[in-house]
Amino acid sequence: MIFVLFGVSAIVFYLARGFPAAFAPWAQYITFRMKPSQIDAIIKAHGFDQPLYIQYWFWLQDVFHGDWGFSNWANGLPTYNVFASRFPFTVELTIAAVIFTVAIGVPLGILSALKNNTAADHASRIIALTGYSTPSYWFAYILQLVFFYYFYTWGLPNLPSGGVISQGLSGAVPAVTGLPILDGIIAGNLAYTADAFAHVILPAFNLSFISLGYLARIVRASMLEVLKQDYIIMARSKGLSERIVIYRHALRNALIPAMTLTGLFVAGLLGGAIITETVFSWPGVGNVSLRAVFQGDSNFILLYTLVTALIIVASNLIVDVMYVFLDPRIKY
Amino acid sequence: MSALTEQAVVSDTRQSETKAKLAELKYAIYLMRQNPLVLAGSVLVVFFVLLSLIATLVVSPDSASLLNFSRSYCWGSSTFSWTSLEAICPAGTNLPLGTDGFGRSVLDMIILAIPLDLAIAFVIVIIATAFGLAVGSVAGWVGGKFDEVVLRITDIFFAFPGLVLALVFAALFGRTIETLTIAVLLVWWPTYVRLARGQVLVEKEKTYVEALKSLGAHPSRIVLFHVIPNSIYPIIVQMSLDIGGVILTFSALMFLGFSPSPTLPELGNLASDGIGHVFTAPWLIVFPGLTILVIALAFNLVGDGLRDILDPRLRR
Repeated sequence: MIFVLFGVSAIVFYLARGFPAAFAPWAQYITFRMKPSQIDAIIKAHGFDQPLYIQYWFWLQDVFHGDWGFSNWANGLPTYNVFASRFPFTVELTIAAVIFTVAIGVPLGILSALKNNTAADHASRIIALTGYSTPSYWFAYILQLVFFYYFYTWGLPNLPSGGVISQGLSGAVPAVTGLPILDGIIAGNLAYTADAFAHVILPAFNLSFISLGYLARIVRASMLEVLKQDYIIMARSKGLSERIVIYRHALRNALIPAMTLTGLFVAGLLGGAIITETVFSWPGVGNVSLRAVFQGDSNFILLYTLVTALIIVASNLIVDVMYVFLDPRIKY
Repeated sequence: MSALTEQAVVSDTRQSETKAKLAELKYAIYLMRQNPLVLAGSVLVVFFVLLSLIATLVVSPDSASLLNFSRSYCWGSSTFSWTSLEAICPAGTNLPLGTDGFGRSVLDMIILAIPLDLAIAFVIVIIATAFGLAVGSVAGWVGGKFDEVVLRITDIFFAFPGLVLALVFAALFGRTIETLTIAVLLVWWPTYVRLARGQVLVEKEKTYVEALKSLGAHPSRIVLFHVIPNSIYPIIVQMSLDIGGVILTFSALMFLGFSPSPTLPELGNLASDGIGHVFTAPWLIVFPGLTILVIALAFNLVGDGLRDILDPRLRR
């Protein structure tokens, strides 16, 4: 696990610092007011005059001291602060997207398993396949077009096309957690909460549309597998109602693989959905990372890839542990 | 005692194998005809491949560079404006899908873009598969240290957040089609290494491999002519499922602004033309995106169906 993080950081470091496309690598650490002697001191302090592998060593030292450098394009704020101020938005979007995915994907999977090889099954398969054949940037604009623009022109209640909160309401409640919906609830501001909720629907649905198909297919496959097991036949022959057999006996075991997949979704989404966040001008880390890439901000890219890699690796671990916890048949 | 050569055994088993394969194939075709979705997907795939072969005959490739700002047929259009140098017209009689910001027919540009996107997707998937087979099968066969190293390297690449590696790579090495292709490849190769490795590990334990080994067949011969052909089905399924994914990723890079030229007819690039005009000229973004969706869906339908057909456990 540690090895993976070192590998990720080394690759990104080599790419981002080894080929300074537009800026010198130390450009991130200096300001306009610095004298040449000060700049030289900074170059020395971070090892920018040394070969790349020694620079990596200097960078590692900085990182372990909690110094991630600065992001010039964000008014020279420390990179860590830029990341930390954006991360809650990504968390909110992730939670909403996962709720959508599970709420639609699991019933869809169950339906298509119970009605195996019927029209309902085929329909669910088409929805699933369409989900992962859809270009997310395109679907995001389609959602905006329909639910914002067309609904607006038809005079229907419409959803906002982007952002986290309406202009007039921004800053209306104190940022306690950083998640707009949660902040609204804590402050007891109903209008703020509702507005934040309206803003999250479209981007969250866009994200979940791509992943719910996978989930539905997994639930379907494991449900079919479980329904063939002996204990289901046993439960049926005991005379239990079909409802209890399916929801009490079958579903619980069928959902274990779905849990794994959901865990991986969470990890992937916490890494910031670059495309969705960009199209919906959602100020999360994915959105900022795209800007950082275009601005040549190697500091942010390094922090961002490292944190997301950590999340992915950690969630793999958690999923493995959960698996043992949920399924007593598995023993390590 | 007759000399049992590898050749003799192989040709013997091969005959019965061919028969079995033929029966398998017949059954697979029967299953495919049972499944209307796969059929629809295959028809669409064939259609798109044929279309991309004749695309340059249908639409002159020069029309991509013929920028027509005359706007003469844009009179009365709601998006018509004298101020910006744009020639966006809605659909008309000789322009079924309207024109883009350069005054080119959107339909023509989509037809021109399909061969490029398909070719890039095929190239990426084939290179990734070849590399994956080469590295993965050796790792699976040899095991030990080499296997461990390969596994750890794929671990690193799996821990990367999706697009980021491709984005960084594309941003650093310039906006050409070649760099973008390499950028997508960088994201895609580990899957195939893992897949090929897993397949070889399974096949390695089977008796026919043991028979070949005892006959003194060279490991490279066993892997190349026996193990890989026997484990090719899951890889083919993965390839057909990935064509769609690769097109999505590649066009997303184009869409996010890594296009080498704004006039390049590529589906993601065409769609990105419409970013500023989503509400005024939706056809700019709707139709190229829809084309990507249909192409990806076609390949996914085929891949999904193939998986069911080739995996006997899923046959019901």
